[in-house]
Amino acid sequence: MLVRPGEKVKVKVKVNGIWYEKEVEPRKLLVHFIREDIGLTGTKIGCDTSTCGACTIIMNGKSVKSCTLFAFQANGAEITTIEGIGDSKLHPIQEAFKDNFALQCGYCTPGMIMQTYFLLKTNPNPTEEEIKDGLHGNICRCTGYQNIIKAVKDAAGRMR
Amino acid sequence: MKYSGRSIKRLYDDKFVTGRSSYVDDLQVSAMHAGFVRSPYAHAKIKSIDTSEALKSPGIVAVFTYKDFSPLLKRGIGIWETYEDPKQWKFVARKALADNKVRFVGEPVAIVIGSDKYSVRDAVDKVNVDYERLPSAVSMEDALKDKVIIHEELGTNVGFDSTFSGGDVEGSFKQADKIISVEITNNRLIPSPMEPRGIIASYESGTLNVWYSTQVPHAARSEFSKVLGIPSSKIRVIMPDVGGAFGSKVNIMPEDLSVVLSSIKLGRPVKWVATRSEEMLASEARHNTFKGEVAVKSDGTVLGIKGDLLVDLGSYLTYTAPLQPAIIPLMIPSAYRIRSASIRSRAIYTNTPPITMYRGASRPEATFIIERIMSTVADELKLDDVEVREKNLVKPDEVPYTNVFGLKYDSGDYISLLRSGVNKLGYYDMRKYAEEERKKGRKVGVGMAFYLEISGFGPWEYGEVRVDENGDVIVITGGTPHGQGTETAIAQLVSDALQVDISRIRIVWGDTEIVASSMGTYGSRTISAAGSAAQVAASQVLEKMKKVAARIMKVDVEEVEYREGEFINKKDERVKVSWDDVAKAGYTGTDPGIYAQVTLQGDVTFPYGVHVALVEVDDYGIVRVKEYKAYDDIGNVINPALAEGQIMGGTVQAVGQAIYEEAIINDDGGLAVTYADYFIPTPVEVPQITSFFAEKPHVSAYPVGSKGVGEAALIVGPAAIVRAIENAVNKPINKTPVRPEDLI
Repeated sequence: MLVRPGEKVKVKVKVNGIWYEKEVEPRKLLVHFIREDIGLTGTKIGCDTSTCGACTIIMNGKSVKSCTLFAFQANGAEITTIEGIGDSKLHPIQEAFKDNFALQCGYCTPGMIMQTYFLLKTNPNPTEEEIKDGLHGNICRCTGYQNIIKAVKDAAGRMR
Repeated sequence: MKYSGRSIKRLYDDKFVTGRSSYVDDLQVSAMHAGFVRSPYAHAKIKSIDTSEALKSPGIVAVFTYKDFSPLLKRGIGIWETYEDPKQWKFVARKALADNKVRFVGEPVAIVIGSDKYSVRDAVDKVNVDYERLPSAVSMEDALKDKVIIHEELGTNVGFDSTFSGGDVEGSFKQADKIISVEITNNRLIPSPMEPRGIIASYESGTLNVWYSTQVPHAARSEFSKVLGIPSSKIRVIMPDVGGAFGSKVNIMPEDLSVVLSSIKLGRPVKWVATRSEEMLASEARHNTFKGEVAVKSDGTVLGIKGDLLVDLGSYLTYTAPLQPAIIPLMIPSAYRIRSASIRSRAIYTNTPPITMYRGASRPEATFIIERIMSTVADELKLDDVEVREKNLVKPDEVPYTNVFGLKYDSGDYISLLRSGVNKLGYYDMRKYAEEERKKGRKVGVGMAFYLEISGFGPWEYGEVRVDENGDVIVITGGTPHGQGTETAIAQLVSDALQVDISRIRIVWGDTEIVASSMGTYGSRTISAAGSAAQVAASQVLEKMKKVAARIMKVDVEEVEYREGEFINKKDERVKVSWDDVAKAGYTGTDPGIYAQVTLQGDVTFPYGVHVALVEVDDYGIVRVKEYKAYDDIGNVINPALAEGQIMGGTVQAVGQAIYEEAIINDDGGLAVTYADYFIPTPVEVPQITSFFAEKPHVSAYPVGSKGVGEAALIVGPAAIVRAIENAVNKPINKTPVRPEDLI
């Protein structure tokens, strides 16, 4: 794709089941596109080194840190954000996080839940080591992770 | 239906698990974006600033420097005078943006305001600052020489110099069987809450509205008022959801002030949310070294301690930094019966990012120092760790106990807790296991540490309870929970006091126009101080309702008893009125209205405990903390799951402090780590954590009887983990973090 300086690019993405079409600067990060252009602020930004995982979303079935992609790279993609899981009631993962005291300040929580969502899709019955490994790209500064790991195990049980 | 003492689920989790949470960056306010031009040098004169190219950049509204803001400032940002004495300090109140020189790498020099953050980022690079580099003093040792002076007005880099003395120190050293030298360092950390700091300021018609990621909305309002000369009645500070703080967000930063000033100058809302890299420069923590001598008897009795404490301040005195050099010495005696001590505490300006405070602020430092001393004494005298501590702990009949510096410990039985703690945690079995493993060639180690903490800081906290005409309850608290879940615990206390279902209670906090006054959440004080204030307000509300019930039942108020949602005539129990009917009647007739406001005074309290860690070190010197166990007397426990959450979170921060995290500053004064290699522990580095609370707690003087748990594990954890590493590798260690290269 050739984009001249100052030009915008058209991005068409399906987010939580709805198609959006927007013109954006080619340098715009996907996380900013989701938060600012689409207005879904559940996806958080915790760092600028793609370390923390607060911006984790599901894109075409895989979890990605949405700060590592430009918005135009998501052109044509199907995206699920934290706002897109669970319908009228909470998703079992969301219930499990609540019931196990798996959040404190809540800032990492959307990313944690989306990464858990991906982990349990690919591995419905993970061991403790597999959970730790599966979440190692998501940082939580409050909980010490133990209750998050418990919540993931609990969620796996609820989803079976 | 008693709620207190039970692990009630957190009341307001739904918005967080569904992505409906609302932190500063999520607020839909039509604001201009701010970005900062920052110094590339640790110490340099600013010769000129050219903003012309930046102003030509598309979407850029303004670029402001020190000169633009200084006419609007009555003074710079002060210190936290509730707890800190400005008379003890040499400091220059920090202005918004650097004046004629920069004093650390990353110091904000100019603020760029524009329509979106990308345009602002472009324009930041177009501001041309001409610097003349100056020699810098990056280390405390260099700064102490006073060859390079960071603030000329002060004539020295020593901001604080005070000697804390008590007892007959020289006499105690003369009586000693042995004198042991120690040197102990806590290196520089970065608090790193998941949500970086952020602010939106909106100034119009003389009124300032601020949405602020803060722990202290009222203190911020007061400080903005003093700095800007705007009456605090015309300033509203609103704390939205706050994504963690750990003490760092008690601080009012020059960036925050610059955003407010820009809003005033432009008459438009202005927003700034720090990038992680900015957050890492704005607020750093710890960094101090203690060098001293310990006088001991050969049975392990510590007679006296003397030494020098050096505390890094970074380049400016922040709102909270004065706490550390003043409190570390006071807490070094811990729960031990040390009757002679002399500690000179000095705080030093260096050309480095400013030090603020971080979970525990001064107690982790003091605890690491005294626990290193106790362990060193044990090693030198070939005594057991527990035995040395038991020998020196204050005895139960000596409590309340006044330590050598005059600090009064309120309640506790330290020796019994230590004994039952080591048993309950299986310390000796773990030691035996580690010894067996070491015989097989594995480097496994177990360590313990004891702590006494000062928490529950006063001088007061605010609580208000309103019962509306439908009988529903709103609690307005001066506490400012931002993750701890203390709002749920406060609801439990009020539910119990009013004997109403917890679903009828809503907790509100963090807005200076809703909360009449407030100290806030920090220093493990929220349940004790804010919970007690809410509980007292609830009991006052109940008295009012009894009066209303008496009126309805046409009896004297003394004859009314309240039980489980019913106001009952004691003389004839068949006569009663329901909670809902009384609430309704409370808004008709004479003396309407059912609410109570309480500003409850309170003072510090002293929780304590023993923690144990098990580690394994591999052939590359890499440490894994495998198990961590805690036994704490934190007074009454209102919600065990929330309290346990504080222990677990603190433990993992302790793992970080002990073996991973360090804000390494290079020789040129630059922060040498990014967020990626600062290395906050991930799920992979987490030990198995077990937490117990004393079955028969020693309560505080606060009405709810709690003492506080927010900081405990980070206060004692590094000492326990470092001791375990020593046990594993049989090598003395005197600092945090312990690096692989220290162990091979």
